[in-house]
This record gives sequence, structure tokens and C-alpha cells, in this order.
Amino acid sequence: MDKNNLITFKVQRYDPEHDRIPHFQEFMVPSGKCLTVLEGLLYIKENLDSSLAFRASCRMAICGSCGILINNYPNLACHTQIEEFHSDTLTVKPLPNLPIIKDLVVDLIPFFNTHKSIKPYILRQDAEEMEKPTAEYAQPPRALETLLQFTHCIKCGICISACPTSASDRLFLGPQALSQCYRYCTDNRDEGEKERFPMVDTDHGVWHCHLAGACSEACPKGVDPALAIQLLKRRLVSRAVALGKKQQPSSTVPSPAETKPKLPFPGFTVK
Amino acid sequence: MRNTYLWLLQLITGILIAVLLGVHMVLMHLDAILGFFGVDATKITSWESMIERSNQGIWAGLYIALLAVVLYHALNGLRNVILELTPSVRTERVVTRVIVAFGIVTFVFCSYVPIALLSA
Ligand code: SF4
Ligand code: FES
Repeated sequence: MDKNNLITFKVQRYDPEHDRIPHFQEFMVPSGKCLTVLEGLLYIKENLDSSLAFRASCRMAICGSCGILINNYPNLACHTQIEEFHSDTLTVKPLPNLPIIKDLVVDLIPFFNTHKSIKPYILRQDAEEMEKPTAEYAQPPRALETLLQFTHCIKCGICISACPTSASDRLFLGPQALSQCYRYCTDNRDEGEKERFPMVDTDHGVWHCHLAGACSEACPKGVDPALAIQLLKRRLVSRAVALGKKQQPSSTVPSPAETKPKLPFPGFTVK
Repeated sequence: MRNTYLWLLQLITGILIAVLLGVHMVLMHLDAILGFFGVDATKITSWESMIERSNQGIWAGLYIALLAVVLYHALNGLRNVILELTPSVRTERVVTRVIVAFGIVTFVFCSYVPIALLSA
């Protein structure tokens, strides 16, 4: 860190036990090349104020814990370079549309519960095979491509905080859960449409998406939830009017008779 | 699939409004288009011509259909907007009932006019 190059972090503080409303506190953080917002927050925590609360874990945009609002734009703190903003002041707030627990930490439990409600796993009729699998279900590369981008979701909640419908409708399922509903319904190994459709075909479900597209623009993993929602709508309509062909769920494929020989274990480089 | 059907109806009524309202607009207000087809617009908007049309079932049907699709489209849209701002199932039920009752009363009251004109 360059001690001469200082940047002001305006951080929203809120402790429900002591504060009535959130307020801002300023910290001077030494900045440097390739420094992320998360590193700035860690500097504050380690050197200036250890009571600052924020979430982080992997520091490489994988775990989805460090979502915050940086200069009024939701992003992952570990995935955002301070330099990107070309400014000597950064405003840091917790993600909107989610209840605040403390400072930059929001309550993600309702978000995870909504995600769970759409049954985000493969549902099949052949319960015995599911319980005691004898082989893998076949999935050709083309079938995988139809859903691959939606599997990249890390459940960070950033799309929910960017979504204008989630801001006005507290019961709205939100782009994350709806896109995951599409991701599983379109999986050629899945047979769970009948169980998932009643969850999304509600007054606060898929039909309440305004198609603002803010979710897709904000997603740090390049997922396009707005597209998934539109494709989910198409799927619901084609089932409602009994149009479009319904694919049969894939069957199991036997394990290959021959497998390639394993590579030898490399020798130790340090004796 | 209730909400999917409601949304599909919203879409269909939107298209029907464009068609039925288009017919009404061309007939009553867009003289230039009628003139293009060689129809005298002053005749069409005259009292006698209006009474003559009102005696025909097809015109009464057209206006009642326009009333029905406009009411559905507008009230379903209004219900969607209100539901977005009422995060309680009980309030939602009240909103839905009030809107459905308002729609039925308005439809019965307003469709009385073209029906009464049939025998004018
Ligand atoms: S869709 Fe993108 S923004 Fe939304 S939770 Fe998943 S990774 Fe985060
Ligand atoms: S710390 Fe894991 S995504 Fe940022």
C-alpha cells in the first residue's frame, strides 16, 4: 500500500443495539495499484476500527459473501478495484432490499429460504435410482449449454439488491430464485416442473418481473437472470396452452467399460 | 397455472383492444382514413347513422366486447400494481374482491346502453 496516496472510505455504520438510524463514518485508507475494496475494508478493520462489520471469505469472487453497495452500485468487494472509480472518495453501504444486521452485513436467510423454496436440485420420479444410484444420468454437451451460465450463480444476492421489483415488492421471489427455477426445469435430467411451477406461478412470482434487466447488468458472475425469467415465462405458457414438445428425462448411462489409465503420481520436488 | 392464464388473457385483451379500439377510432374520429376508402365521414357521425348502427347486433356486440376487454385489461393491470405494494395475503384478497366486484358492476351498468339502443 502506498502510504502517501490516501483514499477516503465513507462507510455506512449501523448497530441496531445503539443506533436509531444508519450514519456514515469516514476512514482514510492508503491506496495503491490493484487494491480491492475488500482490502480497503480489511485495512480499516485491522488498523483503524476493529468494530466494523462486513462479510468476506474467499477473496476471489467464489463464495458470494462480500456483496456491498460501492458508490451506489452493487458489487462484490473482493472483485472491485478501488482504481476503477477514478475518485479519491468511495461510499460503501450494505446491499439494499435486504435487512441490515450490522454495518455492511445483511441478513441473507430470507434470500436463501426463497432459493430453497424452488427446490434447487434434480427431482426425478425414479426414487429408487435417486436413493441408490447405479449409474450417471446422461447429459449431452448441448443440453448442458442451455443451462451452463445459470449454474455460475454464487448466491451473493447482488441481483436482488439491484432489482426494482424486489425494492417495491417484499414478497417478490427475486431474480436469483426465478433463474434457478429455470436452470433446474430446463435440465434434461430433471422432472420437477410440476413441483416448481406452483412456487413461481404466484402473485409475487415470475409474472411480476418488470423486465428492467438490472439483475443481469449487476451480476458479477455474468449470469443473465433476466433471460432465465423470460425463458421460464415461455416454458409456463407452453405448458399452459399445451404447446411445445416436452422432453423425456434422460436415462442413466452405464459407466464406460474401459477407463484411461491414471497418470502416475508426480515425484516430490522438495526433498 | 392461474397467474399464467391471467397474464395470457392480459396479452390477448391488449391485442383485442388495439383491433376494436382501432375500428372505433377510424369510424368516429379519423375522417382522413375513411375518406381514403371513399366513405363520407359526415354521414357516419350523424345522429341517424348512429341510431341505424345501434339497431344492429354486430355493433352492439362490438362495443360490449370492447368494454369487456378494456375492463379486464385495465383492472387486472391495476390489481398487479396494487398487489406489488400490499405484502399481506389478507389485503390481497380484499383488493382482488373489490376489483372483481367493481369490474362486474361497471360491465353490467355500461353494457346496458348498447343493449337498450338495440330497440331504440
Ligand atoms: S444471479 Fe448473479 S447476482 Fe444473482 S445471486 Fe447469482 S451470482 Fe449473485
Ligand atoms: S470474499 Fe468471496 S466472493 Fe468476495
